[in-house]
Amino acid sequence: MLLALLQSVLDAAPALVFAAVGATLSERAGVVNVGVEGMMRAGAFAAAAAALVMPTPLGVLVGVAAGALVAALHATLCIHARSDQVVSGMAINLVLLALGQFLLEAAFSSPSGTPPIEQLPKWLGHSPLTWLAVVLPFVVHGAVMRTPWGLRLRAVGEKPQAVAAMGVRVTRLRFGAVVLSGGLAGLGGAQLSTAVLDRFENHMPAGLGFMAVAAMVFGRWSPLGAAGAALFFAFGNALRISLASSAPGLLEVVPKGFLLALPYALTLVVLALQPRGASRAPAALGQPYDPELR
Amino acid sequence: MRETLRAALPSVASIVTSLLVCFVAVAVLRGGLEVALDAFLAMTWGAFGDFPKFFDGASSAVLLRPLGESATKAALLTLTGLSVAVAFRVGLFNIGAQGQLVVGALAAAVVGAAVELPAVAHLTLSLLAAAGAGALYALGPALLKRYRGVHEVISTIMLNWVAVSLVENWLVTGPLRAVTSGDNSIAGTAQIHDSAALPRLVGDVSRLNAGILLAVLAAVVLWLWLSRFTGGFEWRAIGANPAAAEASGMNVGRSFVSAMLVSGALAGLAGAVLILGTEQRYPATIGAPYGFDGIAMALIGNGHPLGVLASSLLFGGLRAGGTRMQLFGVHKSFPELIQGLALLLVAARLVWLKLSAKVLPPKGGA
Repeated sequence: MLLALLQSVLDAAPALVFAAVGATLSERAGVVNVGVEGMMRAGAFAAAAAALVMPTPLGVLVGVAAGALVAALHATLCIHARSDQVVSGMAINLVLLALGQFLLEAAFSSPSGTPPIEQLPKWLGHSPLTWLAVVLPFVVHGAVMRTPWGLRLRAVGEKPQAVAAMGVRVTRLRFGAVVLSGGLAGLGGAQLSTAVLDRFENHMPAGLGFMAVAAMVFGRWSPLGAAGAALFFAFGNALRISLASSAPGLLEVVPKGFLLALPYALTLVVLALQPRGASRAPAALGQPYDPELR
Repeated sequence: MRETLRAALPSVASIVTSLLVCFVAVAVLRGGLEVALDAFLAMTWGAFGDFPKFFDGASSAVLLRPLGESATKAALLTLTGLSVAVAFRVGLFNIGAQGQLVVGALAAAVVGAAVELPAVAHLTLSLLAAAGAGALYALGPALLKRYRGVHEVISTIMLNWVAVSLVENWLVTGPLRAVTSGDNSIAGTAQIHDSAALPRLVGDVSRLNAGILLAVLAAVVLWLWLSRFTGGFEWRAIGANPAAAEASGMNVGRSFVSAMLVSGALAGLAGAVLILGTEQRYPATIGAPYGFDGIAMALIGNGHPLGVLASSLLFGGLRAGGTRMQLFGVHKSFPELIQGLALLLVAARLVWLKLSAKVLPPKGGA
């Protein structure tokens, strides 16, 4: 039972881990990313659509590129047009929600999903992306916390003017961080359509993007923290699904709705309990960079 | 007048651009300009009345039915749009309209079904219950913001999912589930009494109900409040510059809370209009992201109550007309794409303002 549970976490968690780790990159650089949901959707759709005409691993790369492309749009709006970052992110979610439906209908004449594709091959019983999701949080954490690039990235999210004074191009650094963030969200989406299932379905990613944002906040904006929170949330999900089949009696006592609400409620409780001013959110988060300010 | 025009320009330009882009998309993907033109015309007649048929001698139903559907959709968009816009005016981003709408809808469904009262009193009570539930649900983020410094974007996103999970995966399928004759039970709450339903306005010809009147009334009241009352002025001052407002003696924290309460009440009312006007009970799932549509309406309407009303009437129409595009192989959700794209373009407000400064230079030289 426990082993089966762990197995299902290994399948379900990677999408959330990629998206949550990606979200930290964008936000540590000072750009709010509530468009993760839309970027994941782009990745899931593009990967499945591409895998119909090319090998699935290449399709996954197309999914990554699609997420990055959507993120580039977000970055252009936030950084160059100085739009409200939350507005831009929500707009991206709404556009991708409708665009996915439209393209499904236009390209595949089906409102519900793409035709099936060949799933990613399995290594040791799981998709290669699962193993990537095990390694990646450490790599990103190391890059953000231990390299000169990471130091600049974090500084740009705290006090961009200071970084600019050092001669670093603030806008380029932020743009890169947002695009990387979108690429990872796209990878998460691609994992849904090429490894968890074998097609894109219209409901994807069904709120996982918002859960990734919750995981990022819960993990206090650190890549490892976000990945840990994502794992925890995914474990909770897997537990709920396995309980539904193995111990349906328990769900009479603890309704499914409670378990579904738990990750979000927990994140809220943590936020509400932390002392005022102890938030780990980057100081310049959400503020467009204005080189005129000092 | 010139200033009003300049303020509306980014929205109008965004809507026009979005319509053009989507037109080209249909033309490219669905085989030619003619198909696109037919599809867009079908959407227009489906939105604002089938005038060609009417002038060919069809009954007035060909006008009233589409207009009724449009107005029904527009009522929901207006109320959620006002909800987001009102919070925006004090500088808060209420992403939680969806959650507030869900609890408001549930409150309306429960009061509408469980209580027995004379017609007007029952409807009023149901509406008040929905507004109260929505307001209470928005109180949490407001207090968290005021006393714990928790950003409202994060807290309202979390509360959306909490509301949807608890209502649709527990209450509506569990304790509040309607049990019909015998053991046959259906997901969703019990049917509301007729005394709680929003009255239909034009009989059986169309589903048009009094929800649109409520929405227009809310828009006008909010506009008057923001433009003619001291309290409304304070909200706008706080939204423009909270530090300056605080320094001039305004109570910023209290205004955050009161604006969020109004915002939540409006989203709750939207839920009531959905239940008491069209659904007649809380269904197994509400499905559509009405609260997120509200964000689109608030921003396309530039945060102005009458702007929100105008953009809701337009997009309510397009979305009602969208079903007619099915005949041309375009999914009925296509108007949502037009709406999303328009929102994305509105987000680039600064770009439009720079452009409009060239087209309509401000008085006294550029």
